Amino acid sequence: MVRRAVLAVLVLVALALLTISFRSPTSGILHDAQSYGADALRPFQVAAVRVARPFRDAYNYVDGLARAKSENKKLEKMVRDYRAQALLNASAVQQNNDFKKLLQFESGPQYPQDFRAINAAVISFPSGAFSQQVVIDAGSDSGIHLNTPVVSADGLVGKVTQVGHTTSVVTLLTDPNSAVPARDLKTHVSGLIRHGQGGTLILDRVSKDQVVNRGDWIITRGTVDRRYPDEYPYGIPIGRVVAVGTSDIASFLTVQVQPLASISSLDAVAALVPKHPRAKP
Amino acid sequence: MTFADGLKAAALLFVAAIAQVSIFSQLHVFGGVPQVVLVTLVGVSLLRGALVGAVAGFFAGLVIDTAMLGQLGLTSLVLTVSGYWIGRYGETTGRDRGHAPFLSVAVVTFLYAFGVLLVHFMLGEPAPGGAVMRSLLPTIVMNLVLTGPTYLLVRVLLRPRERADYATEVQLLG
Repeated sequence: MVRRAVLAVLVLVALALLTISFRSPTSGILHDAQSYGADALRPFQVAAVRVARPFRDAYNYVDGLARAKSENKKLEKMVRDYRAQALLNASAVQQNNDFKKLLQFESGPQYPQDFRAINAAVISFPSGAFSQQVVIDAGSDSGIHLNTPVVSADGLVGKVTQVGHTTSVVTLLTDPNSAVPARDLKTHVSGLIRHGQGGTLILDRVSKDQVVNRGDWIITRGTVDRRYPDEYPYGIPIGRVVAVGTSDIASFLTVQVQPLASISSLDAVAALVPKHPRAKP
Repeated sequence: MTFADGLKAAALLFVAAIAQVSIFSQLHVFGGVPQVVLVTLVGVSLLRGALVGAVAGFFAGLVIDTAMLGQLGLTSLVLTVSGYWIGRYGETTGRDRGHAPFLSVAVVTFLYAFGVLLVHFMLGEPAPGGAVMRSLLPTIVMNLVLTGPTYLLVRVLLRPRERADYATEVQLLG
C-alpha cells in the first residue's frame, strides 16, 4: 500500500514538473531552480569529461593513425586547390570592400570580424534519438543569450536554446527542430538546412528549376529583412553538397549536405556574440 | 533500508547519472548508446525493492534532467516507473535468480525506450520511432555488457537483503 502511494506521489510530482517545464521552458521559477541545479552539477560534469578525455584521445589517436595515409593524399590535393582559390578570394574581398565604400553600403554584423567568440567546453552530449543537444560550459554570465549561434573550428554547429547562469543548451543542426536559412555559395540558391539521415543534413525547399551541384559549399544566408534579424550571421560555413537528387512526385530537389563540423564528437565550441549589438528597430 | 544504504544508493546513482550525460552518451555504437544509469537502477531496485527503486529512479531522472537543462520530470517519470517495476520483479519472481539482472536490463531498456518515445509523442515533440527501433538492439547489447560489472559493484555496496526482509505483506486467502 505504502509503495503504491509513494509511486503515485512520485509520478504526480514528475508530471507536475513536466507540465510546468513544458509550459515555460525558458523562464520562471522552475527554470531558475533548474539553472542553479545545473550550476551545482557543472563541476561534476567537467570532472567526468576530464576523466574520460585521455581514453577518448587515445582512441582518436589510434583511429587517426589508421586513416592518416589515405587522408594525407586527399588533403595535399585539397591544399593545392584551396591555395589557388584563396588568392582569388583575397582579390575579390579587396574589390568588395572598395565597392562597399563607394556605395556607402550598410549591413549588420559581419562574420567573423564583428563577433566575439566565447569558447566553451562541451560537458554533456546527446544520448539517443530524441536529444540532439549538447550542454556547454558557458551561460548568461559569459554573455550568451537565446539563439546565439554556435560554431566549431570547422563550421556551424547549432544555436543556443536554453541559457543557464554558467551552462547553456545548444540545439545541434542534426536536431529535428533545427532549421537554418542557408545558400549555395556558388549558385546562390537559397534553402533551409534541416536534419537528414545518418548524420547528414538536407538543403530543403530548393525548387527543381534551381541548380545545385555536387561539391558546392553551403553557408548561412544571414539577415534577409532587418525587421527580423536572423539568428545566424551571413557566411558561416555549414557543409558541402554530397548528393543532389530529384523525383517526379517531389516538389523540391533532394540536396544532401555533409556538415563540416563533426557534430557527433564535439569537444569544444565557440558561441558567437556580436561585438556591437544592433539597436532593435 | 538503512540511512547508510540510502546514501550509498544515492551516491551510486548520482555518479551513474553524471557519467551517463558526460561520458557514456558519447559512445555511439551502431546508433545505440549504453545506459549506465538504467543498469545501475536495475541493480539498486533488484536489491532493495520497489519503493527504493521508484525513489531511486525519480532521483536519477532529476539529476539527468537538471544536468542536461532538459524538460524537468521527463526522465524522472519514466525512470520512476522503471525502478518500481524492477523492484517488484526483484521482490517476487526474480528473487534469487541469477539471470534476473540481465533479464531486467533487457526488458527495461526496451520499455524505457518506448516510454520516452511515448512521452515525447504525447508532448507533441519529435518522436522518431524508426531511429529508436534501429538503436534498440545495440543499446540492449551494450547494456547487457555493462550489467555484469555494474551489478557486482552495486551488490558490493548494497548487501543483498536477508530472506526475512522480503515478506513485508501477507495476504490470507479463503
